[in-house]
Amino acid sequence: MQKQSKFTPSQSWNARLQRILRHGDRPWQGLIICMSLVVLVLMVAIGWMLWQQSANARAQFGWGFIAPTLSGNWDPVNNIFDSWPFIYGTLLTSFVAILIALPISLGIAVFLAELSPAWLRTPLGLLVELLAAIPSVVYGLWGIFVFLPAVVSPLGNFLQNTLGALPVLNLFFSGPIQVSGSSRLAASLILAIMITPTIAAVTRDVFLAIPLSQREASLALGATRWETIGKVLIPYGLSGILGAGILGLGRALGETMAVTMVIGNSIEGTLSLLKPGYTMSSIIANEFAEAVSPIHSEALVEVGLILFAMTLLLNIIARLLVWRVARKTPAEARA
Amino acid sequence: MFQKFYRVFIVLTLAAVALSACAPAATPTPQVQVQQVEVTRIVAGTPQVIEITSTAAPTVAATAAPTSMPEGSIHVNAAGATFPLPLYTEWTYAYQYVDPSVAINYQGIGSGGGKKAIIDGTVDFAGSDSLLADADYTAGKDLQMYPIVASAVVPVYNIKWSVDLTATPAPTIPPLVLDRTTLVGIYNGTITSWNDPAIVALNPGLKTFLPAAKITVVHRSDGSGTTEIFTKALTSFSPDWKAGGAQSVQWPVDKLGTGVGGKGNPGVAGAVLNSPNSIGYVEIAYAISNNIPFAQMINKSGKTVTANAASLASAMADFANNFTPQLTNTIVDAPGAASWPIAGYTYLILHTTSMTDCVKAQKILEYIKWSLTDPSAAKKAADLGYAVLPSDVQKLVLAKLAAVTCNGNPVLK
Repeated sequence: MQKQSKFTPSQSWNARLQRILRHGDRPWQGLIICMSLVVLVLMVAIGWMLWQQSANARAQFGWGFIAPTLSGNWDPVNNIFDSWPFIYGTLLTSFVAILIALPISLGIAVFLAELSPAWLRTPLGLLVELLAAIPSVVYGLWGIFVFLPAVVSPLGNFLQNTLGALPVLNLFFSGPIQVSGSSRLAASLILAIMITPTIAAVTRDVFLAIPLSQREASLALGATRWETIGKVLIPYGLSGILGAGILGLGRALGETMAVTMVIGNSIEGTLSLLKPGYTMSSIIANEFAEAVSPIHSEALVEVGLILFAMTLLLNIIARLLVWRVARKTPAEARA
Repeated sequence: MFQKFYRVFIVLTLAAVALSACAPAATPTPQVQVQQVEVTRIVAGTPQVIEITSTAAPTVAATAAPTSMPEGSIHVNAAGATFPLPLYTEWTYAYQYVDPSVAINYQGIGSGGGKKAIIDGTVDFAGSDSLLADADYTAGKDLQMYPIVASAVVPVYNIKWSVDLTATPAPTIPPLVLDRTTLVGIYNGTITSWNDPAIVALNPGLKTFLPAAKITVVHRSDGSGTTEIFTKALTSFSPDWKAGGAQSVQWPVDKLGTGVGGKGNPGVAGAVLNSPNSIGYVEIAYAISNNIPFAQMINKSGKTVTANAASLASAMADFANNFTPQLTNTIVDAPGAASWPIAGYTYLILHTTSMTDCVKAQKILEYIKWSLTDPSAAKKAADLGYAVLPSDVQKLVLAKLAAVTCNGNPVLK
């Protein structure tokens, strides 16, 4: 009885709630905007923190901090810091990695989407995705104990004897590579292996999303299978493929653990791929916990700031590229 | 659909209100009665309603002696150096059986992180291999360092001897001997080959075995107390070492392309094992556990010594009178005939006057005192390759510990 009487006033409340929910567009819109703003706020907060925390380092070292110099100094004892060796290491290893990984993953994706027999498609696709899920520290360990001595070290010697003898290339292939294989080349190859499955998996999905009519039209015009892949499917999916490449590049730029384990962590004065090097993320990971003097830790934060800005810049450039391609492609593909 | 959900919500809320209204009527039972209930439960079986009202905590409080505190009731947070971490883990585990009321949680975040944490007051005590700077003493006014154990850093090597090791009779290869200037030369990159005359002169027994191979020089890539001990020793060994002594330095061999950085003691040990004809430096415990040969050194007084507990104790004894008021001391390049030249203390850092939780302060100091004086603690240290303090140093540290106050009163009785 009591319950009955209690329910009567709440009926109107119930109705009111229903009314609000029926015209719920605005609250929902607000909620969704708040959620998307979280990303923006986080981004700004991280950038602002890095900017703020590196104020003294920026004031003290100025633009010389990122000036390209072969004899880069990183001397925590005398508080002299140049970040160029790390910038160079990061750019070089990521660039070489993407150079190797892009064609390989394109091949994997084409095979999985277009050529593979149906019974092989699923297990192979699963394997590729599984490869993308391996933690980077495992790649690093495997690199140290198997890949470096067995592959990188002999490959380094081979490159030194062949490409190292050519005029300009000898800058990048001057040896000798260390017996253990620790080098920028090792980091590039490990990175390439790590990002290949990511790029391949996304690229395969891009190919699978291309409407069947495109293939049929091309084949109907008398194109061979290879011509269809090369002249129709790849141009059609180019923006997606580039997007996959950016994803891989992002992972390569920021990858820390595996690179730290194989690159040799040495601030070295040549451009050579065969010599040990250093990257921006590895110097931060290596030294931040024990950076005792304030200017040392500020210099490390500034390296973080540069990495942050570099990633942002590369992403913007890549995004513009994708837009350009995307605007052009459909017309071309239809033509 | 919303209506349905709404009704369910109302019903649930009402139910919750009703339950919480009932609860106070059932629970106001004095603690003594709880104990009685407990007894009834054990003796006469288990009525479910009673089990809800009797909780474990009051039972323990009622049965334990009134003076001692309940198990694990005091949580001590500590953080810092990773080099003594294996030892501290063993010690804090063993200490649970000595004093069950205190739970010590030591996190190995690095000496620098430990120092920051104790200055900021986010931990109760910190561990560090490196010394506090003057600025740190002004930031945290009452900080005091206490040496706990010492350890040796050893040059480890992996040389591909130019001799057939499988031949019969197997060739006997004596351990490598280095002197102070040769070690500096190797790390400066002025001695680049294993059959350099300087090395051969020190190792007449190895003359035919030393290969004409380039030396790969391995160092720590991360900032570390081990590096600080090693580079301080190099600085003291020879004026030719210009890079200084700190947790991270700019290695001259890196510029020459023959240097490699490994992350952590295990990283250096791994890099040395993986690179033929390499040299590196690690805490002695890592050399022993990885079975890597380490070099003997010719010390300041010209005697050949090997790193062990005795040569470490000798180095500590050489500098026993050199402690600063902050109880810090550098024990590299000791002058004694039997002293190992590359060694260092690891420290705990405490606030000496500003601790406010006196019970916790007492528990911390009791733990430190136990770790310094208890024979079982000393045995654990020795098993892991650390050297305990000589008795005069120990007396010094204990005297400083006794001076710690909490709210103006001495903590240790």
